[in-house]
Amino acid sequence: MSHDLTRRGFLRTAGAAACAAWALGGCSGGATGEALKFRARPHPNAEAWKGRLGLAQGGDDPARNVRAAVEKLCGPDGAKTFIKPGDIVVVKPNIGWAQVPEMAATVDPAVIATVVRMCLEAGAKAVKVFDNTIGSGSKCYEFSGIEKAAREAGATVEQCAPHRFKMVALADPLVKRLREWPLYEEALAADIFINVAVAKTHNASLVSLCMKNLMGIQGGDRGKMHQEIHQNLADLNCVIRPTLNILDATRVMAREGPGGGRKEFVAPARTIVCGTSAVTVDAWGADPAHLPWMQGHHTLAEVKHITLGAAAGLGVADPAKIEVVA
Amino acid sequence: MAKRSKPKHPLHVARIVVQLLFLGLFLVLLVLTARGTFVAAHPRLARLFLDTDPLVLAGMALAGVFTSGLLAALVIVVLSLVAPRAYCGWICPLGTSMDVVDRLLFRNRDRSKNITPRLRQVKYGLLAALLVLAIFGLGVFGWFDPVCIMTRSVGVALYPMADQSAKTALVAAEEHGIGGAGSAYDWGVANRLLLLETDLKKGGPGRGFGVGYEWAWVFTALFLAILLVQAYQRRFWCRNLCPLGALMGLLGSVSPLRPRVSAKCISCDACRKGCKTGAFQHVEHKKRFASLVQECVFCYACERNFCPVDAIHIGAGHANPIRPQPHVCPGRRALLGAAATGALLGPAFILDQRTRAKEETNPQFRPPGALRPDDEFLAACIRCGECMKVCPTNALHPSGVENGLAGLWTPAFVYNIGNCDYYCGVTKADVDAGQMDKPANLCGTVCPTGAIAKLAHIEKTKWKIGTAAFDHSRCLPWARGEECLTCEEQCPLPEKAISHQSQTVANNEWLKMPQDKRNRFDELAARQAKGETLSADEQKELAAMPPKTRTLAQPYVLRDRCIGCGTCENVCPIDGPGGIRVERLQTREIK
Repeated sequence: MSHDLTRRGFLRTAGAAACAAWALGGCSGGATGEALKFRARPHPNAEAWKGRLGLAQGGDDPARNVRAAVEKLCGPDGAKTFIKPGDIVVVKPNIGWAQVPEMAATVDPAVIATVVRMCLEAGAKAVKVFDNTIGSGSKCYEFSGIEKAAREAGATVEQCAPHRFKMVALADPLVKRLREWPLYEEALAADIFINVAVAKTHNASLVSLCMKNLMGIQGGDRGKMHQEIHQNLADLNCVIRPTLNILDATRVMAREGPGGGRKEFVAPARTIVCGTSAVTVDAWGADPAHLPWMQGHHTLAEVKHITLGAAAGLGVADPAKIEVVA
Repeated sequence: MAKRSKPKHPLHVARIVVQLLFLGLFLVLLVLTARGTFVAAHPRLARLFLDTDPLVLAGMALAGVFTSGLLAALVIVVLSLVAPRAYCGWICPLGTSMDVVDRLLFRNRDRSKNITPRLRQVKYGLLAALLVLAIFGLGVFGWFDPVCIMTRSVGVALYPMADQSAKTALVAAEEHGIGGAGSAYDWGVANRLLLLETDLKKGGPGRGFGVGYEWAWVFTALFLAILLVQAYQRRFWCRNLCPLGALMGLLGSVSPLRPRVSAKCISCDACRKGCKTGAFQHVEHKKRFASLVQECVFCYACERNFCPVDAIHIGAGHANPIRPQPHVCPGRRALLGAAATGALLGPAFILDQRTRAKEETNPQFRPPGALRPDDEFLAACIRCGECMKVCPTNALHPSGVENGLAGLWTPAFVYNIGNCDYYCGVTKADVDAGQMDKPANLCGTVCPTGAIAKLAHIEKTKWKIGTAAFDHSRCLPWARGEECLTCEEQCPLPEKAISHQSQTVANNEWLKMPQDKRNRFDELAARQAKGETLSADEQKELAAMPPKTRTLAQPYVLRDRCIGCGTCENVCPIDGPGGIRVERLQTREIK
């Protein structure tokens, strides 16, 4: 029977099989609207610490400030209070723009490197660093200095791949407007999610802090987020609740955000603040009393996504009720 | 075909090795050209094959365009003077591609009857017409130049196709849980072997296919046609159509180096049937054979492997040469006719293009640094596609005939697909070192003819390609009363060319209310305005109704700042034509 397998016959069978496999693959893909599952554990004290922040200011070493802020929040054990040995950690910095760190369009690389080291020291199995950038991925990763610094600290740094965004339904009773969106699988699958934002102004949402930074796990046409951006951001934050939120205000882009591109737009602030609620961190950071925003740029009350987030119970927007551990 | 009883001539073996090396080099360089860092560091290497193309040199000289890079083509000119079409047999990547396909598909095909001596004169006519067109300021010889064909076909069509297939396979493997597929994908992206970047901006389901070009299917089809027409005749293109081959054949007509058939010839026809470019021809009433120096590509197959009586020797000697040498070039009358055709087509193309340019409704946006006015660009551009290949955002695409036939396959922006990258060709090291004076438009860096000038970052970011303008019937804040400002957010200029102002506009929620509710709102509001105290229920009712107006930020273009990079058009969240589009406004500077 061996002569039955002719070359032509084999090619024909193989071709048909390939076509069938292709067709099946095509049928199985593209399904939308699976309910979102954000796997990352909240901080053990997340509920109790909704209004609590860790703050470190001053000096010229953002790395020291990160450690200090996390220790102020969590106690001397720092990241060990929420990372278990063997955890897969995602650190999501703002790498959105092809700008050097001095422009404050992206998180300071030293901050990211320190966060990565803290996670590894706490026993994390792997730390992944990525952001769905606005400009060219490789340029943003290079210009921000984050790719190099995070790799040296021991993290895996890959660019986001379009096929790893999965359309998910944001099926949460708190969500008002944003019904479904493609989100990055690896962000949803991590054990621990650490959200690291840089403090910037923003032409549409007034400020771009921790809540806005979560847009970096969104795929799709994010320009469409800009219609009712405050509600959309609050909705996104209802379903994505990071284990820890860190605001890097080593430098603040005080105006012309979020792209910037000139040192005149940047004001030094030498501040790192962190908390378990992105809303609370942002409420502190957006407050003109705390960071050197351009005179008259905004008031805290005007930043609707923060007040909407607080109204949904995600955090505390009332400055009087925020407990700052410094 | 002759039986290969004898071992190959050493130069025959060497030729095959050299051919494969050059094809490999060509492909490697083309793949590396996808990396901006490679192009910035080795611009001459990136455009090596085009820089050394004598047809490009000749065409540019006739068009009055001079670039020093093209002088490298003199090396090939000298080679052609000595060994006329050795380039075709040893170096030309298109020729080697043909040989590879011939070997794979048509090896045992008898094509010995398909000898068409008159057809091969076409290439001289084509050369004459194209060079005359070059004098008219039309670099359209690039449509036919083999290096341009190869660059376009591989760079703009085949590489993206291969990339696409590789990514599809890797993604499928990853989704079926095959180990290593995901990391192979990441490695490919990180090393820029997979072309991905342009999609990340709008990445997500339904996108993510990477780089693709308009018109690419035409390049694929033409390339396949050139390879497969060999079923009729080996090296059909080289024998009959190639203008570069014609030019080099003519250059080398005087060379003494050629296959020489001695008096030992027994007129067996083996060489005429075997030669891949048909370089042998009967002479003396079919008693003997002689070679056509303008056709021989020095493949070294004839000397050992065709001739049964060792009557052929490739050399410069004078061992019993057969005279007169047969002519292959068409007569003076035919050449003049071809040139005259070119001379007629030239004004036709130019008039067509200028008429279209007058129309101005379908403007083309050239890469930054492109020669102006467009007539000069059309003269210098050889339609090779290198700029499109290297463009990091996949923004440059080959034009169709929208702006005249002469513009076919010249580069133009399609902003809906990509935008001109603000930091093109610049690395972090350059920024840190403050070295912003080196060429920062990769399209200009690879352009072999200077049709796109090299611009430093500071020049490129001031080069006005066009000017963005809002379409108030589409832009969300203007047309629909919805929030947006995505364009302003992403305008890459430090002094943004888009600004906004808050205005009072109709509230969509109010507009959605039926008339009776609107009347009720008016009534309650009027009573309240009169100082009447509303009941608690009425107050609640009024508060639940949306106000008539709202404040909304509406964007404006600051025309003098805008450089027409198209980022705004690219990121506009409206599906279909953007609510902001680059237009021709103010592209012509007033001096």
